[in-house]
Amino acid sequence: MSNVKQVRLIGFGGQGVVLAGTILAHSAIKDGRWVAGSSAYGAQARGGTARYDVIVAEDPIKFPHMISTDILIAFSQKAYEESLGQLSKEKALVIYDDLLVKPGTLPGVIQTGVPATDRAIKDLNNKQAANMVMLAAAAVLTGLTSQASLVRALEENSAPRFLEINRKALALGQDIGLNLKKI
Amino acid sequence: MNDTMEVQSALAPGSYFFTGNEAAAEGAIAAGCRYYAGYPITPSSEIMERMAQRLKEVDGVFMQMEDEIASICSVVGASWSGSKAMTATSGPGFSLMQEALGYGVFTETPLVLVDIQRAGPCTGQATKVGSGDLMQAKWGSHGDYQIIALSPWSVQEMYDQTIEAFNLSEQYRVPVFVMADEAVGHLRERMDISPLVQTRNRYKKSGAAPFGTEENDGVPPMPSFGEGESITVTGSTHNEFGVRKTDDPAVHERLVGRINNKILNHRENIIQSEAYSLDDAEVIVVAYGFTARSAFFAVDQLRKSGKKVGLLRLKTIWPFADGLINRIGKLGKKLFVPEMNSGQVYGEIRKYAGCEVIPYHQTNGRIIHPKDIIAHIERII
Repeated sequence: MSNVKQVRLIGFGGQGVVLAGTILAHSAIKDGRWVAGSSAYGAQARGGTARYDVIVAEDPIKFPHMISTDILIAFSQKAYEESLGQLSKEKALVIYDDLLVKPGTLPGVIQTGVPATDRAIKDLNNKQAANMVMLAAAAVLTGLTSQASLVRALEENSAPRFLEINRKALALGQDIGLNLKKI
Repeated sequence: MNDTMEVQSALAPGSYFFTGNEAAAEGAIAAGCRYYAGYPITPSSEIMERMAQRLKEVDGVFMQMEDEIASICSVVGASWSGSKAMTATSGPGFSLMQEALGYGVFTETPLVLVDIQRAGPCTGQATKVGSGDLMQAKWGSHGDYQIIALSPWSVQEMYDQTIEAFNLSEQYRVPVFVMADEAVGHLRERMDISPLVQTRNRYKKSGAAPFGTEENDGVPPMPSFGEGESITVTGSTHNEFGVRKTDDPAVHERLVGRINNKILNHRENIIQSEAYSLDDAEVIVVAYGFTARSAFFAVDQLRKSGKKVGLLRLKTIWPFADGLINRIGKLGKKLFVPEMNSGQVYGEIRKYAGCEVIPYHQTNGRIIHPKDIIAHIERII
């Protein structure tokens, strides 16, 4: 992993974007990295765009807000389209939910579709677990954090009644990520 | 004169992912705060929320009061009852507290106030950022007095400076303000908790005058109610035993002089700052709070493109770093001062720098972005 990665997780309210971002942040701290996280703060309408920005770095972070997006993790078409303007000019990476996003052509940007919602429904019979499937797949694809730390971060931050399904979702996401990496 | 001691951290040592507001509450608990009284206000309310939970866990006392005036009065009372006590608020609440803060200063009451500054004046934009309360922190109550005001730039520093605020307030018997801004209060980032915390305990001496003048450092010992001592605490001018003296010019002059000098005479020990890349700098950015994070990034970027720029970060706002600014001014460089207000600290810097000082004000409820600092410095360098 290069020294600083600016990650934006974005979708619509209710998809668990903020929880996924929070678990990513806790997980990267467990790996010994420096992390800053921020979401929008203010009077927000329900049902709109939800986002969580996480900066992951090998050293203490100078400026803790996002300057440009190195890694975009998009959970909806609207969120995907809204976020393209902030992509870093060099080496930007886009990871999207392949059931919910139809990507456009972006020269110089690597875009990878992850069947997070599709497999969460088919394998786990739980659409809500798509956020954890996506998170674990993205962790494999980007090297942002280790699977072991993800599981520990999940255990500390998940409501007890969702822990088991979320554990399964992380394992599924890791499999998906490893398979995509082989391609 | 006071005792310092190391105590076990209240939280297990390690790395945490806290907001600045959560970190301030944890710093208070670590420093030994066992009383909190407050009235919720955006963007500071998470401090109160966490204190309500944490004080219960450490056998402390938490009070939600009817307003901010009652809150700060209650904190003064708790401090005189022997507790380390705190409140937190934002601009409108800070305004309401000013009269009682003057009482806290004149009765030499240790207490800590965390102000999470939002975009004012008045109700302003409650969820948006500003740093417009700095002059209020210094001059908000009437008469001639000194307080100590700190300015954190990170979640780690919200923890560290809240501990420091308690220690300074006990050492100098003075209200100490943690003047954070919304951007730091709501920032969430990694912070590390070490196993031991350096704390300071109140200096006590049985039978001594609680407002005495014999101490070399100007800070008398402080008894508490319930310890068997006879104590009078008054906001009127008082002699060394707390007896009202409202018609004696010598007593008034001595007391006002002492409460100012006990801070001013120790300002070299109180004031903290950090310097980055000053040596060959042609422009020195002087910043504090979250704006210093933007400036830090901007200076780093400008250095990478060969521009000779440095950063001086003020960790203490009051007492003001007049000697430091005077020394920096003598280097003959340009100073650039970005602030989320109309130039409150710029005015102080200009007073002492004796060189060219360029202000950059922003009062739109948004943080000052590094790219704006870079653009302005490229114009003046």
